[in-house]
Amino acid sequence: MNPGLQLDEVSFQAGERKILEGVSLRAEPGECVALVGPNGAGKSTLFRLLLGLIRPSDGQVRWGDTPVHELSGQARAAAMAWLPQHGLIQEAIEVLEFVKAARFRFSEGRSDSLKAAQSALQAVQAESLTHQAITTLSGGELQRVMMASLIAQDAEMFLLDEPANHLDPAHQATFYNMLSSQWASGRGILCITHDINLLTRLAPANEAARVRVIGLDQGTVQFRQQLNDPSLPEALGDLFKLRVETVEVEGRRSFLALDGDQR
Amino acid sequence: MTSKLAMVVTACLLILLASPWAGAPLSGEQGRFILLELRIPRVIMGATVGAMLGLTGGVFQALFDNPLATPSTVGTTAGAALGALAVLVLLPATGPGLPLVAIGAFSGALVVTFAIAAIAASGRARINDVLLAGIAISLAAGAITTGLQFQADMASTFEAVRWSLGHLTQVGYEGISLLLPLTAVCCTVLLSQLRALESMIGGESRAHAQGVNVRRTRTLCLTAGALGVGGCVAWCGPIAFVGLIVPHLVRLSVGPARRILFPLSALGGATFLVLCDAIGRVVMPSHDLPVGVITATLGAPLLVWLVARRRR
Repeated sequence: MNPGLQLDEVSFQAGERKILEGVSLRAEPGECVALVGPNGAGKSTLFRLLLGLIRPSDGQVRWGDTPVHELSGQARAAAMAWLPQHGLIQEAIEVLEFVKAARFRFSEGRSDSLKAAQSALQAVQAESLTHQAITTLSGGELQRVMMASLIAQDAEMFLLDEPANHLDPAHQATFYNMLSSQWASGRGILCITHDINLLTRLAPANEAARVRVIGLDQGTVQFRQQLNDPSLPEALGDLFKLRVETVEVEGRRSFLALDGDQR
Repeated sequence: MTSKLAMVVTACLLILLASPWAGAPLSGEQGRFILLELRIPRVIMGATVGAMLGLTGGVFQALFDNPLATPSTVGTTAGAALGALAVLVLLPATGPGLPLVAIGAFSGALVVTFAIAAIAASGRARINDVLLAGIAISLAAGAITTGLQFQADMASTFEAVRWSLGHLTQVGYEGISLLLPLTAVCCTVLLSQLRALESMIGGESRAHAQGVNVRRTRTLCLTAGALGVGGCVAWCGPIAFVGLIVPHLVRLSVGPARRILFPLSALGGATFLVLCDAIGRVVMPSHDLPVGVITATLGAPLLVWLVARRRR
């Protein structure tokens, strides 16, 4: 069987509360999957299940044929790298040291780790930040360093939890362009986002069919579509209980959320 | 940065090497005995204990992601104190020479270490749960210790108070031969977790995603730290403040990078404790002032100053 993430009829319950119910999903290296849905839909919980941070109350979460909680630390880190939603770092650690720490899974000397960290920082055009304390970075710079950390870990799939949430539009665009080039280099991308428009930055318009969009609400999958599906606006409207229209600017489809329930 | 590091290391080594000669001048056969059988063992013991306390403090602060964590945070010190007092009170006839108090203290520390390790190894416990358990154990052991003291006669109460101040008095090399191997092993285990602890700067979950076996790292660090500190407390009594302030001092002078912070916390702890003991010897030559009195007297204002500086 190909390597890749697979959820089979996965449910997760916290106490009495059902967070996820009967969710099935596949994502392989080279694929790009976007998870959308309102707050509290269970998206972040899904990531924690994939990483083996929590175990499903029902169903199975696997990487290839192996349940993720049985993976060795090294195998897990080779499969998935994760950018959590709240990435606050309190220690005034040097950027290079922080990125270097992501090389944990490799049995290599310190100088090799540092070299890899340096080239990861180059890949996101953040060489100038190398020796800064991570606590002094702006939001945009920090997210760039976080991306460098994922690249340094060199996993097959990147799991990103609303990576551009608190960035200004220019930094959002830069971030998704970086993500796009990581996808182009063969990695799998699994990205939680509220902003569907940013997804259009991942692929040129003629490749939008390769971006899969999965809508999640109240712990269940509401729809599975491709980014260029004509019915995607309607599906998104149902998901967020809004009216969603599209406009096309310079060959790229943009989504507009308008007031009022369309149904 | 490198030159600053070299300066700090050189200063520490000079203090350690010079300290046996601090105090009343030595001469003749008696001076030779004092130097070889009393002062040098005392300095080696101080360096051993100080290094263990400093390193454990640095590692625990990183592990708990809490600047107030200390080697006594997880309760081994309180467990050791209870063990020591139980021996002093319940077996009052034990004369000097027998390290029964040390055995009692170490047993107390062991029990607490296993309890903490069991909590840390259980999957569901968060690192703050371990902290909370440590505080609870400390309070409970402290209460029982006070209760025992209440029952005891004057002599053993006085012994207990003296023990609880911490001391470095050594005659010969017996304590060192017992403690040095233990602390060497414990320090090695702590330093072996360096890369995992570096990864934990981004939080335990992120470290997990980077391939760290978080539970294993936690358990190893807590067990090695608690056991090493338990050994130190058993032989020398609880010595306050070294494990709390030394890592902060090091962080202020050379930064928070674990690779430098941890080894330098060990070296700094050794230097701070030996220096405090030497100061005691110079200031009150005729009294064998318990070193815990000096570390706390110097350490407390230093800590307040550090906190005030950070607030600014």
